[in-house]
Amino acid sequence: MTTMTSATTPEPAALLDVRDLSVVFHGSHGDVEAVSEVSFSVRPGEHVALVGESGSGKSVTSLAVMGLLPTRSAKVEGSIRYDGDDLLAMTDHERRDLRGAEMAMIFQDPMTSLNPVVPIGVQIGEVLQRHKAMTGRQARNESGDLLARVGIADGSRRLGEYPHQLSGGMRQRVLIAIALACEPRLLIADEPTTALDVTIQAQILELLRELVSGTGTALVMITHDLGVVAGLCDQVHVMYAGRVVESAPRRPLFARPRHPYTGGLLRSIPRLDAPRGEPLTPIPGSPNDALSWAAGCAFAPRCGNRIDRCTSQTPELAAQHAYEPGYEQALRCFNPIGEETS
Amino acid sequence: MNPEVSGGRDEVLLRVRGLKVHFPITRGIVLQRTVGHVQAVDGVDLDVRRGQTMGLVGESGSGKSTLGRGILRLGVPLTAGTVEYDGVDIASLRGEQLRRQRSAMQMVFQDPMASLNPRQSVENLITEPMRAHGKPVDTTTVARLLELVGLPRSAALRYPHEFSGGQRQRLGIARAIGLEPALVIADEPVSALDVSVQAQVLNLLEELQQRLGLTYLVIAHDLAVVRHVSDDVAVMYLGGIVEQAGSDDLYRSPLHPYTRALMSAVPVPDPEVEDRRQRILLRGDIPSPAAPPTGCRFHTRCPYRQQTRCDDERPVLRELRPGHRVACHFAEEIDSGAIQPAEAAQMVGTAPASP
Amino acid sequence: MTAQLPTLPTGPAAGPGDGATVVGESLLRGAWHRLRRSPLAVAGAVIVLLFVLVALAAPLLAPYEPASTQWAGDVTPQSVPGPSADHVLGLDSFGSDMLTQLLYGARQSLIVGVVSTLLGLSVGAALGISAGGLGGKVDTAVMRLVDILLSIPSLLLAVSVAAVMGQSQLSVMIAIGVAQVPIFARLLRGSMLSQSRSDYVLAAGALGIRRRRIVLGHVLPNSLGPTIVQATLSLATAIIEVAALSFLGLGDSDPAVAEWGRMLVAAQERFGNDPRLAVYPGVCIAITALGFTLFGEALREALDPRQRR
Repeated sequence: MTTMTSATTPEPAALLDVRDLSVVFHGSHGDVEAVSEVSFSVRPGEHVALVGESGSGKSVTSLAVMGLLPTRSAKVEGSIRYDGDDLLAMTDHERRDLRGAEMAMIFQDPMTSLNPVVPIGVQIGEVLQRHKAMTGRQARNESGDLLARVGIADGSRRLGEYPHQLSGGMRQRVLIAIALACEPRLLIADEPTTALDVTIQAQILELLRELVSGTGTALVMITHDLGVVAGLCDQVHVMYAGRVVESAPRRPLFARPRHPYTGGLLRSIPRLDAPRGEPLTPIPGSPNDALSWAAGCAFAPRCGNRIDRCTSQTPELAAQHAYEPGYEQALRCFNPIGEETS
Repeated sequence: MNPEVSGGRDEVLLRVRGLKVHFPITRGIVLQRTVGHVQAVDGVDLDVRRGQTMGLVGESGSGKSTLGRGILRLGVPLTAGTVEYDGVDIASLRGEQLRRQRSAMQMVFQDPMASLNPRQSVENLITEPMRAHGKPVDTTTVARLLELVGLPRSAALRYPHEFSGGQRQRLGIARAIGLEPALVIADEPVSALDVSVQAQVLNLLEELQQRLGLTYLVIAHDLAVVRHVSDDVAVMYLGGIVEQAGSDDLYRSPLHPYTRALMSAVPVPDPEVEDRRQRILLRGDIPSPAAPPTGCRFHTRCPYRQQTRCDDERPVLRELRPGHRVACHFAEEIDSGAIQPAEAAQMVGTAPASP
Repeated sequence: MTAQLPTLPTGPAAGPGDGATVVGESLLRGAWHRLRRSPLAVAGAVIVLLFVLVALAAPLLAPYEPASTQWAGDVTPQSVPGPSADHVLGLDSFGSDMLTQLLYGARQSLIVGVVSTLLGLSVGAALGISAGGLGGKVDTAVMRLVDILLSIPSLLLAVSVAAVMGQSQLSVMIAIGVAQVPIFARLLRGSMLSQSRSDYVLAAGALGIRRRRIVLGHVLPNSLGPTIVQATLSLATAIIEVAALSFLGLGDSDPAVAEWGRMLVAAQERFGNDPRLAVYPGVCIAITALGFTLFGEALREALDPRQRR
């Protein structure tokens, strides 16, 4: 459904290709469709952002890609291809081998993501021993080097420290070291700096930027912060209520947002460089007000561009003329910004 | 008490002088002994002018929240200093006097769910504090307050868990302004909310300020939020204010190296800006307020640190331009470019892939 | 990866928004809804309800007078008459009707269970509230006292009380009640202290609400959940302890009073020939305790704030 119009130039093969992903949770209140019709691809070395607020399905999407959703309560459908192989057709064992070695993930809260009673050196070494079949001594040496690479001074001497002895920024560095231990080709970062202070966030983003661009690792950044996206990602997918509503390369997305939700988000964030006194234009309501996509557009109740059609017909994600070959540009809206019908 | 008071009202509603909050660190279970102090707030002077908004920005460990609670005398013992509200020193108030004083100074909390008693209906949670202060409550009171914060009257019969985050924050605000305070201290009023909802609450705060003539002290880690709502901004680092200026002035010409680094670290949602700007990356973490560095507290991370004076002598806030105060020995030299950052590597431009 | 799964968002359907027209669903009502959906809770509630009904209506349900030994002649040292048309469950070792004794035994268990739990709850709650609400020296003094009580095994405590006060129903109730005191005191104090640290208590302070009102009107009601659950679970323990005390010969001195624990004791010497004498009261004790436990556990889950939307 998001076939690119720019098929003229040969695209490099996608490392990760997600098509029509849907995730349904079976709960005591009935089934909840957390994600549906999500399609995107990530090429080697590319930085892709999934942007959205709570309930947008961005984190669920990343967990589905990693295969970390509980198999009993979550039904994952569609296709997730990694390097051409269908991940959903793999056994649990095969996916486990892939995790850590080929694809790794960093989470928001570095404290709960680390085991509090195991020294950090052991936690890094574990991954190396499991995926790279290193001996204990090799793993220990390598762990020290890894810590140094993520900017922890005299890393080899700090291998014996426990997570609680480290600051939040240091813990996130350790998590990054664990994620990068096996030189994964795909790194998924789920709000990696949300729990951190601004100056530490800048350090971690810079570190990610360095590490990823040096190795050609593809990065999928899950975030609610459009500022982080603007400085880091090539391709952006904006999600709302479980679906992608707009896909675009970052420059056109920020310069000319087409979906009223994207535009609304950009107008509602206070900008450090905006002239003071310029009023903010909030999006009314809250993400909880999302309608079911079955009855129309989920964003319609909060949308200033709403027309009659929005509450009777479900908008499809339609491919747009690509700003630049190789990038995905698509929109799910009947009445986009700039070409309003009413 | 107030030299400025001469017939008319003092322009400054809240005047904080030399405020210190030190928490003792104790060891031992039976025989507790004090082994040190966390110097959460260590000598802060602050003036908040009537009808204006003072923004207080800082990272974790800066003491900004402790300062807010210290001013309100909310579970935080003051070690030293005075807090003068409308000409009255409230740092020495106790018991019933302090309780009565509270209706004049209200607080808006970060986590609207946690700060509302889950068992209280909206009507109850709004009217309870009003009754505690002997304010008249009639059938229209709750409806009027709900309307003021943009909630339907029907909300009165519901419970906090039935609302979204933004609506809960509105409830918290309604409850606070029900007491008709003159000063509202908002501690991270939007950081727990969804991005699309934050602007609603910020706009509501501004609207209420205009309608009710409120004075705000807004505490936040988000520099963009603080700058947007504040007339004046104070930047805190490790228990002290390092720079204070008018909001525009501070943004246009930050003087303290920490403020510069902080500003350059805030991501701007605009690729054009992000690609052009230079970042000043600070080394390391904020030191522990239990063992703050000697001299200038920022010297361990400062790219402009000058030998021995920065390590030995704690700079005081001094007025460099009218209304613009900074606590840095070398602010003029840094501003004029006479002192360059020590490591050029600390300055990074960002240039991701083309689009 | 040593990473943990983050909590999953419940998706767009969660939480009523602006347009929702729900009128005030309180926490308790929410708990009630959750309780009704859990099959184990329903099973537990049915058992508890049946038990209470049987206990209250024992005089109406029982075919004969309690503790009448009019069929004592039919009991021989070797055997006790089994089920027959007159005696559905047969006789017990004293020659009373088994069914009648079991029904009246329920009554006895309920009275002792409820009275002793109420006793433990009221004394324990009073101590807990004063410790949790006043804090400081009162807290330290009360909690040391409670610690001492807690360090004595509850059955031993009950045995001592029964030994000091002599054998009577009252002393059994006091014995079991006293053993429950430290549990309730600690629990209530603990949850009050943790509630005291929450933001809404700080907020109430900032709003200038009086301290008394904060403790009794905000902290206490939010701390009661675990105590209510514990009371339900305590009923189960109390019923077992009544049986245990009787079993140890510390129960009511009147051997004719129907009591499940004593029925077990009496069945002991005939276990080889007539195991049913022990099985009937044993099963009654087990099912009743199970009922209260199931209900209590379900209540705990239903009142858990994490279940709240």
